[in-house]
Parts: sequence; structure tokens; C-alpha cells
Amino acid sequence: MLELSNVQAHYGKVHVLHGCSLKVNDGEAIGLLGRNGVGKTTALKTIMGLVPATAGNIAFNGTHLNKIPAHKIAGEGIGYVPQGRGIFPSLSVKENLEIGLAKAPEAETLEHVFARFPRLKERAGQSGGTLSGGEQQMLAIARCLILKPKLLILDEPTEGIMPILVQDIRKEIAAVNKTGVSILLVEQNIKTALKLCSRIYLMEKGAIVHEAATDELQEDKETLYRYLGVSV
Amino acid sequence: MDVVIALGMNGIVWGLIIALIALGLSIIFGLLDIINIAHGDFFMVGTVLAWFVLQTTGNYWLAFFIVPIIGFGIGALIEYSVIQPIKNAAALSIVATFGLSIILQESVRATYGAAPTRLVPPITGTIPMFGLEYEIYRLFAAAVSIFAIALFFGFLHRTKFGTWMRAVRFDPEMATAMGIPARKIYMVTFAIGFAMAALGGVVAAPITTVDFQGGVDILPFCFMAVIIGGLGNLEGTVAAAVMLAFFEGVMASFFDPTIARIGSLCLMSIVLLIRPHGIFAGATR
Repeated sequence: MLELSNVQAHYGKVHVLHGCSLKVNDGEAIGLLGRNGVGKTTALKTIMGLVPATAGNIAFNGTHLNKIPAHKIAGEGIGYVPQGRGIFPSLSVKENLEIGLAKAPEAETLEHVFARFPRLKERAGQSGGTLSGGEQQMLAIARCLILKPKLLILDEPTEGIMPILVQDIRKEIAAVNKTGVSILLVEQNIKTALKLCSRIYLMEKGAIVHEAATDELQEDKETLYRYLGVSV
Repeated sequence: MDVVIALGMNGIVWGLIIALIALGLSIIFGLLDIINIAHGDFFMVGTVLAWFVLQTTGNYWLAFFIVPIIGFGIGALIEYSVIQPIKNAAALSIVATFGLSIILQESVRATYGAAPTRLVPPITGTIPMFGLEYEIYRLFAAAVSIFAIALFFGFLHRTKFGTWMRAVRFDPEMATAMGIPARKIYMVTFAIGFAMAALGGVVAAPITTVDFQGGVDILPFCFMAVIIGGLGNLEGTVAAAVMLAFFEGVMASFFDPTIARIGSLCLMSIVLLIRPHGIFAGATR
């Protein structure tokens, strides 16, 4: 479905991605883990065209994403939930939900989303900025789902969320994955990543340094400690 | 007293026209981070185009429809050729739009000429108001400005494109990731800014004069409205424009117009001392 082959990216003169390669198959949930500043967010932004790939290739279902304008990537079937959620605070919840659609959604589509996220229905007319962190995260996920994506990319979805709501977010991501939507997840919360993903990529200095099935990685304490500095 | 009422009313009418022009300046600043020194000249081009439509067709009413459309086209062209290459360089935008200002002024001087012209309003006559005879055209100018401002806010808050403009204004990167063509939004926003200033020119031409330097006086007033209203706050810009023009109009009935302008600048300084981000800062964006 998604394949990054030796992707390189720069912020000005700073070389951030040093040949990043990874693959997400249909219906899979993949975790991308690493310490702070290793280039995980840049990798996601490069997939979304927000940071240009200076070398390598990004293929998604046969389309070379690095060769099309950034605003057309969502239309290829990729939903993006950025770090910090990326809600437009002055737009209403309903406007935020419908932002990616060229015209108003069918009532059925909207009802489907509201049935899944009833809190958003209650707050449809409220400004996005007035929602709690957890509600904003739900909104960020919901506005991607309304576009019926094939792949959902999430950058630290549990960051800054009340611990009591982290479980809800996890459940929601797992439920989305069960409907056949592939997941590419960047997380600092290792437990969340290990629970949700079937395969994990470990990143260091802008490149993938290790790939393993989740079960296998959980047993490999030394690798976890070396690249993440934690023991699970 | 009659003079105070007349100049106060003139101030409100002028304030509404300024609000229409300053709104364009504010959306361009809010969305593109461009400090547009040429914005007063967009207004001036509107007055000249209005004169041109009148000369060509003999019908001033046509200018209300044709000039904003031409302004939109010129605005889109300028965004593509001048603004796009300097995007993300705010300091450079001052130099580039200053150059644009000179080009627009000199192009008008070379074609239209240097002599100012007065246009006869398409509606003549007066109407009794507050014990004095008030020009009907000025009331019409106020009505057109209010209508255009309402139309703009309706577009911004009730259409998909307007929602996209507000989204790009807040977070262009996220908007792009959601599939919004930010590049197109920038161009259309700049073009709308030009069209609004040009419409302001059509409305104001029979009140003021058609002159290649007609935008020079307008620009500081628009900047004052944008700053006092709270940078990037559109509703605040409208309120500040009307308040400032009313204040200056009333001042002008007691003092020399130059003193009245100095009074406006003092008012702006006081506002900025008390509220450095403008009166309406922090309201809506």
C-alpha cells in the first residue's frame, strides 16, 4: 500500500531523513518509534508532502506521492492526524469535520461519524478551540474518517491527553484499523504502540535501524533499551 | 452645529468606504503576511477604472460591476507575478509592494494623466436629515459599502471557500494536509483584496477626486484602521475604520483637516499604549 524507498529530506541545509525506507501493507497497523528528534514527524510530513522529499520515492497504491502537489495527497486516501491535533480553533466543530470535503457531506455520512463520536454531535456548533484535548483528538480523527481514507497516519495521538482518555483513543484507533483502514502510528507512549501495532519500525538519525513484529520486539529488551531508552 | 453633524455623517460614510478598502488590506496581511504598501493604489486604480468605464460607456452604474471584476483579475496577476515569489519574506514584501505602488501610480500618470478630475455622482440631489440637506449619493455610497462588507463576511463564513480561507489563515500546513489548495486560496484572497479596494474606488470617486496619487492619503488611514482594530481582526478593522473616520470628521469641523489627522494619529498612539494589540485584539481571527 505505502512504500518509502530510501527517502531523504532536508530543512534548509539540515539533512533530517537519511534514506528512510518502510512499508505499510493493506489493513496493517505499523508503529514508527524512536527517541525525540530522530525524524519520525519529518518522515510523516514528507509522506504528506509538507516537507519535500529531496531523494528517494514514496509510493502509495501505485501513485508517486512525491511527484504530486501536497494538497492532492489527502485525496489519494491518506488521512493525517498531526502532533498537536491541528484543529482550526476559530472554525466550528462541524466546519472542522467538513473541511476536507469539496461540498457538504451527505447526511448519512455525517450521521455515521456522529454515531461514532457522539460528543462531536453535541458540540457541532462550538468552536474547535473550545474542545478539550481528548475531544480535539477525536475531532482530528473524525475529520480524516469522513474522507474515507485507506491509510490513517497519526503523530503522537495520545500526547497531552488526560490518562483516563488515552484508553478511549487507543480503542478508537483499533476500531478504525478493524474496518480495514491501515494505520501508521508515531508514538512516544511505547505501550500504546505495542498494543495497537502488529509491526514496529525503530528509527535513529533519520533512518530505519530496526524492524520487528511487535511480539518479537517486546521480548527484545536490549533493542528496546538501545533505541528507545526504555524497558517494557 | 450643522457643520458638526454634516462632517460627522461624512465621517461615517467615509469610514464605511475605508472599512471596505481596509478589509482587503487586513485579509491580505492576515493570510499572506504581506505588508501591502500598494493597497492605497489599488483604490486609486478603482477610481481611474470607474472614470474609464464612464468615459467609454457613459454609464457610471456599470462601473460598480465591471471594476471589481477587473480588479480581481489584476489582483490575481499581481499575486502570481509579485507576491508569490516573495512569500514568507515579510520584509521583502514592503520593498516589493512599494515598487508595485510606484509602477501603478506611474502607469496611471502615463495613461490617464496627472490632472485630478472630479466625477459627477450618478445620483444627484439632497434629502433632509437631522435638520440639514444631505447628499443622496453619500447615503447610497454608505449603503453600497455596508452591502459589500456584509457580502464579504457572508462569503467568509457561509461558503466552503470562505471556510478554507479561514483555515489556511490559521494553519496553512494543516489545511494543505486536509486537501485544501492553499496556493489557490492565497491568489484568490489577494484578488478579493484588490477587488474590494477597487470597489471602494468606484464608490468614492464621485465624492473624492480621480488622481494618480489618490491612494497616498488612503493608505495610512487604512493601516490605522487595521492596527487599531487588532492586526488580522476583520470585524475590528471595520469598527475601527468607522470610528476613526467619524472622529476625524468631527475634529475637522473644529480644526484644520491636518490637525484632525494629527488627532487621529494621537488617538491611535493612545490606543496602542493602552492596548498594544489593538482594541479588538483577541476577538475573532
